Amino acid sequence: MHPYFSKMDNFGKELKQNRKDRAAESNAQLRAVETVIEQQKQAVLNAGFSTAEINKRGSLTITQRLEYLVDPGTWQPLHSLYNPLDNEEGTTNVVDGLGKIGGKWAVIIGFDNKVMAGAWLPGQSENILRVTDLAMRLNIPLVWLVNCSGAKLPDQEKFYANRRGAGTPFYRHAELEQAGIPILAGIYGTNPAGGGYQGISPTILIAHKDANIAVGGVGIVSGMAPRGGFNVELLEELIDKTREFRAAPPGRVETHFGKTGFFSRVYEEETGVLDGIKEYMQNMPAYGPMVFQVAEPAEPAFPADDLYSLLPFNQKEVYSFDELLARVVDGSEQMEFRPGYGPEVYTGLCKIDGMLIGCIGNRQGFLGKGYPEYADYPGMGGKLYRQGLIKMNEFVTHCGRDRIPVIWFQDTSGIDVGDLAEEAELLGLGQSLIYSISQTDVPMLLVVLRKGSAAAHYVMGGPTANRHNAFTLGTAATEIAVMHGETAAVATYARRAMKEKDAGRPLDDVIEKMNQLAQKYRDTSQPDYCARYGFVDEVVKLTELRGYLKAFAGAAYQNPRSICPRHQMILPRIIKG
Amino acid sequence: MSEEVRAPLAGNIWEVTVAVGDKVEEDDELVIIEALKMENPVYAPCGGVVKEIKVKKGDQVQEDAILMILE
Repeated sequence: MHPYFSKMDNFGKELKQNRKDRAAESNAQLRAVETVIEQQKQAVLNAGFSTAEINKRGSLTITQRLEYLVDPGTWQPLHSLYNPLDNEEGTTNVVDGLGKIGGKWAVIIGFDNKVMAGAWLPGQSENILRVTDLAMRLNIPLVWLVNCSGAKLPDQEKFYANRRGAGTPFYRHAELEQAGIPILAGIYGTNPAGGGYQGISPTILIAHKDANIAVGGVGIVSGMAPRGGFNVELLEELIDKTREFRAAPPGRVETHFGKTGFFSRVYEEETGVLDGIKEYMQNMPAYGPMVFQVAEPAEPAFPADDLYSLLPFNQKEVYSFDELLARVVDGSEQMEFRPGYGPEVYTGLCKIDGMLIGCIGNRQGFLGKGYPEYADYPGMGGKLYRQGLIKMNEFVTHCGRDRIPVIWFQDTSGIDVGDLAEEAELLGLGQSLIYSISQTDVPMLLVVLRKGSAAAHYVMGGPTANRHNAFTLGTAATEIAVMHGETAAVATYARRAMKEKDAGRPLDDVIEKMNQLAQKYRDTSQPDYCARYGFVDEVVKLTELRGYLKAFAGAAYQNPRSICPRHQMILPRIIKG
Repeated sequence: MSEEVRAPLAGNIWEVTVAVGDKVEEDDELVIIEALKMENPVYAPCGGVVKEIKVKKGDQVQEDAILMILE
């Protein structure tokens, strides 16, 4: 099959200086947002005690542990700004992402031991469930760096109970293991109660000499018997018990290595634990990349920096999606599927690190006379019409059949509306796309380049495709909302405005409310909001995009549950004709 | 030889990005038409010099209206 893949069709053109000049303001706006996002990420990483303070206590920080553990240049952080319940600490208190350990991709997560000794915080279990979902979707090992002091007790009502509460990850761990996905845990520090289950639920437990895991720790043991309130006498008694347990917390290495044998290994040095994980990673199931590479990996033919001149910050400005795609895929080569049909959508095969990926993206701008064919109005890219929806249904189905992972690039204002659109079956075709996605079993990645709006955000591989969407990335131009804020204000207040007018009352109040609603939409659809509340899993710099695509491709092909020999694929033959 | 640049769709002239006498290359942006809530650039179909501009910012144009002439 090398004639198909070793040299595919070139696409993209060199960017002219006058185009760069015209995009200078947009370029600066994109970079300004990226700078703010970066500052926010740094603030989260610096939460809690300083690195120096943690080191003085004889421990490494989570950042230092990750730096030692992960192969240089492979770390792709996720959920850096995720804080859906607005914790005052600014974090859910776990740090996670995709990275290579000893040349193999893993989903990696660890407690931030600088913040309340790695306590459970509100929103953390949702963060962990995103991570376990990711390991399940990509079928790659999950690596935990456990260092968890248990629940932040004053806030327990926000995360202890409920269907997706702090205990749910332990079930997810069991489900991963039952699906054949190993979980490696390096265990540090004191891990009582919830922390104990964080320690015991993985597959292989590798402990530092000072680590302990236990059903309950000092606090729980000391305060075990409620007596209807507190007084000085009782408090003195508790203080004595606490001193006793501080000297010897339960679940130490002597118990769980020497007696129960829960710990597979124990290391004197913190880095020894990480060396142990690296050694186990060498024994994790993984194909070498060459098994699934269809061509030699190659960098794009055009610089990634061009992306700042190609993706307009102004949401109304159109651009060439194909030019943008040419900056992130191998060799700027592709095989387009049905190029003359459904012009509002690009569908085609590209390569990332030499591995075949199905790419789907919204094209922008005027779609040409006579399209959409069912209407008497012009079609505009970013919207979805009948042909585009049918084409995506076909493409996704073929990718599923050929076991080709899919990357979606969204910049969509929605599916076409109105009587003609209904007659053209767009409602049914949108749901058909959801059905087609569900019919496949390949990992999918979503990049929301700019707009993610209306049902199109759902049907184009959005995070709502829980079983398929591995993760979602945003950019400095990302804007996710059900519709534009001003459209929403009109939809909400137009009738009221008419009634006020008819009653002879002033319109000032309605105008103020409409402006307030439009502003609320702006505030709650911006990149940092999307990251904080989990609409996206990470907002990344445009020049960082390809690194994430490579991580996705490498991880998706590392240990696929199902394979299709390249010479038995049908999609490349359909494209070639 | 002259080349007419026509509006691909109806809309409002959002911006004229060149002036008479400017030298342009194929695919250079000439005019931006606002239509369907989007700013749609009109690109030069070939290289040349801007001989005449028939629209200005704010004008409404119909599909196929002549926007400018390149020479």
